[in-house]
Amino acid sequence: MSSTLAIAGTEAQTGARGAISLSGITRIFAGTIPAVDHIDLEIKAGEFFTLLGPSGCGKTTLLRMIAGFETPDEGRILISGREMQSVPAHERPVNTVFQSYALFPHLDVEQNIGFGLRMRGVKSAERKQRVDAIMEMMQIGAFAKRKAAQLSGGQRQRVALARALVNEPEVVLLDEPLSALDAKLRAELQIELLRMQKRLGMTFIFVTHDQHEALVMSDRMAVMSKGRIQQIGPVLDVYERPRNVFVAEFLGLSNIWQITPISDHEAETPLGRLTISEMLPAARMAMIRPEKIWLYSEDAAPYGRPNQFFGIIREAIYMGAATQYRVEVGENKFVLAYDTNNQAAERSWRPGEKIVVELKPENIMLIEP
Amino acid sequence: MIPRNVRRALAGFSWPIYVLLYTPLALVAWYSFAPAPHTQGLSVYAYGVMLHDHSVFAALRRSLILAIGSAIISTVLGVLLGYGLSRFRTPGAKGVLANMPSLIIYTPIIMPSLVFGISELIFFNFVHRFTGLLGAGLGTMMIAHITFQVPYVTLTVFARLAGLDQNLFDAAHDLYANGLKSFWHLIVPVVQPAIIGGFLLGITLSIDDFTISFFTAGPGSVTLPIYIYGAIARKGVTPEINAIGTLMIGAVILLAVLHFIITRHRARGAELAAKGTI
Repeated sequence: MSSTLAIAGTEAQTGARGAISLSGITRIFAGTIPAVDHIDLEIKAGEFFTLLGPSGCGKTTLLRMIAGFETPDEGRILISGREMQSVPAHERPVNTVFQSYALFPHLDVEQNIGFGLRMRGVKSAERKQRVDAIMEMMQIGAFAKRKAAQLSGGQRQRVALARALVNEPEVVLLDEPLSALDAKLRAELQIELLRMQKRLGMTFIFVTHDQHEALVMSDRMAVMSKGRIQQIGPVLDVYERPRNVFVAEFLGLSNIWQITPISDHEAETPLGRLTISEMLPAARMAMIRPEKIWLYSEDAAPYGRPNQFFGIIREAIYMGAATQYRVEVGENKFVLAYDTNNQAAERSWRPGEKIVVELKPENIMLIEP
Repeated sequence: MIPRNVRRALAGFSWPIYVLLYTPLALVAWYSFAPAPHTQGLSVYAYGVMLHDHSVFAALRRSLILAIGSAIISTVLGVLLGYGLSRFRTPGAKGVLANMPSLIIYTPIIMPSLVFGISELIFFNFVHRFTGLLGAGLGTMMIAHITFQVPYVTLTVFARLAGLDQNLFDAAHDLYANGLKSFWHLIVPVVQPAIIGGFLLGITLSIDDFTISFFTAGPGSVTLPIYIYGAIARKGVTPEINAIGTLMIGAVILLAVLHFIITRHRARGAELAAKGTI
């Protein structure tokens, strides 16, 4: 009795409008290794979910299978609780924003945005009203009559987004929609996209290879590599507590060492002996983010705490808000550290200066190879 | 920047080419105004003779029926074929196998029309002997003309579609258009210039064709090129033939001017739209 209740409960959750459930999704292109390899994934309704990974990791193929452009060789896709196996792309309650925008060259902005409504047989009066409303919201009404070829990159991106959103889909799929834009415009549109998603409450599935973009935008994300999900979870968890070396390195700079545990909280590493808060037995790798490393000048260091090393600054890369240091703490033993340049920071160092490095035991994470 | 003297030399070279291109045409026109019998000086006598010759008009009518009919049918077939070739390429196929369809499509273009015409003739005879169908006439000519026009239309359409962002097809599909709707609302409007171009090319090729027509024509299906050939074979190049030639040259120039005006109008429209709004 209780087990049937539990099942009913999960069904209700995955059946919510805009929820997506993937189980055992596999796609193998003729005679190659699987592009997508047995992926299970639950995406909640109204969530901003990111698929992050290097090119060729299968993230776009996964997105295209949700859209219906590709058919999985194995596995099930449920959108809002409905089985999508035999539902063609043009009947799925999802809309896609393409990396190339894919605006129809023979239509103007207004007609591009209204295309989906027209194909669904929405009467022209209602169509006009809805297209006008979305153009106003996206601030693109001024070029309603222009063709795609006469728009700038940022304008095209807005039109592509409007063309998807005007249909009020249950899920919006975005395939690297910002990757063709310059950095400033990109940052602007990231925020705009995020606001739009929160306002409309639709589920967004966002594909990107840019870890910074993934961190800025997502509620949760899945890091993919070689057709598999390496880690999935809230952004903060994935960044702060990467599961393995791939995730740790893909999501930013990190110091990673092989370790040999010698007690519950102590391990030998190439750097020297480290005290680590987590329970050690069986662990093989340890990781610490550069911004979690403390730097002190020799005369101001709080000596007597674990994991302190004397070192010499070998490289200092000034990056505005922060400086990245490469510190040599022994012959050919380096630590990558990151220090903010705000007033609280003690000072900044120059190459050749002697300092003390501290790795706090609670900031060292155990990861898998 | 090309030096001025080189540019002058190049411009000088172009003149003999213009002369070679246009003098023969001018001569045809000149001879068409040959004096009437037993008179002297220019006259439009040949035009009068031509206008009273019913067989010329019958041949012209057949040529136009053949040209327009075959161009319409080969445009429809070529559009479908070009769409199919661009859309449904065998996934994973490489080398010769992947290019097989386009290699087959090229065959009629690279085949000498003499060989093509004779092979059509043999084929029609073969079918006719066993079934009684496909007796030589306008029907067989139509089939032959469609056969050699289809590749041109197909390749024009294929080139246009292959140059498009392939995501457009997915986008149409994503925006609730099924196969038929996306064909009608995306493919047809996008390849429209290629369709018009292919159709006009088909007409031109058909009217121009002599060799293939010659082998596939029957007794009752004399088209203009065959008529002209027959007339020359019998009586040599007469002023009437030159008159027909002159009218054809005039028609082509008229078409070219029309085409120029239409395309320039369109280009300017697009330019204005771009300027006015940016």
